[in-house]
Amino acid sequence: MKTPWQIMTKGDWLIVLMLLGIALVGIAWLAVAPTGTRVIVTSGGETCFVADLDRPTSIDLDGPLGKTHLVIDEQGAYVTGSPCPRKICIAMGPAKRAGDLLACVPNRIMVRIEGPAGEDAPYDLLSR
Amino acid sequence: MTCSAVDTEKLNRARRQVFLALFIAIAVSLHMLESLLPSPIPWLRLGLANTLALSALYLYDGRAAWTVSLARVGIGALLLGRLFSPGFWLALSGAIVATSVMIIVHRTCGRHLSAIGVSATGAAGHALGQLLTARLLIIQHEAIWQIAPPFLFFTVFSGVLTGWLATLLLERLAQHPAFQTTGGHPLN
Repeated sequence: MKTPWQIMTKGDWLIVLMLLGIALVGIAWLAVAPTGTRVIVTSGGETCFVADLDRPTSIDLDGPLGKTHLVIDEQGAYVTGSPCPRKICIAMGPAKRAGDLLACVPNRIMVRIEGPAGEDAPYDLLSR
Repeated sequence: MTCSAVDTEKLNRARRQVFLALFIAIAVSLHMLESLLPSPIPWLRLGLANTLALSALYLYDGRAAWTVSLARVGIGALLLGRLFSPGFWLALSGAIVATSVMIIVHRTCGRHLSAIGVSATGAAGHALGQLLTARLLIIQHEAIWQIAPPFLFFTVFSGVLTGWLATLLLERLAQHPAFQTTGGHPLN
């Protein structure tokens, strides 16, 4: 049985390393993104809750399935309870960097963090 | 007994149908198995089913790869009860972009690449297709691109794995009597 590196040609290596390089540059880019300042929650596309990231709080967010419980503290913003079947939003953990995103697709809740630049922060992240 | 040219053609077509049906069946099984396995993030799956689309591309042609990919997504969604759900559109767009990319790469620079390189680009295309659909249908915010780099990083490895498995499968199939008569090694 041939191992992958016995099969891979120079072209293969070029492609794999190039793709990994792009991914790593992107990851490094995200890691240096500044900590955000505002937490913005949208439900079904409409903004329903806005808070400061540095002020600990918690709130129940209404969605079509029920209440999604969001907590904001020194770890960032994170979901602790949700009526959705797969609990992916809880598994996503805390978000605190500008542009970070928590989404509960079944319950149509989206939590995003914005930086000091406000609305434009995600664009800044892409164009910088 | 001698076979006429028409018979060989008929025989090859029947063989192709049988093998593609088998490929689709295996792809659907792998697809279902993977979606039943627990995963930390729903989109992170190995995509082993793509092994079969890739093998179809190397054994036959682009059309065969399309048949396997699209049938796999459609039948898989029916069996999992996900037809026309967000997950279905993600899987469909991923499959469409991945298959197009693999066919184009195979046709344009197939001489310099093994199945692993073709598979890795296909995997990256799959990630891109899924993210585009997620951007348009589900998240509807530029913040979705945040998950692109880690997603791409993971997907390259799964692409290499898939390409490797496809190579092993193609080597096995090359020894199969059905591919002895058609002449030539499928990897060439």
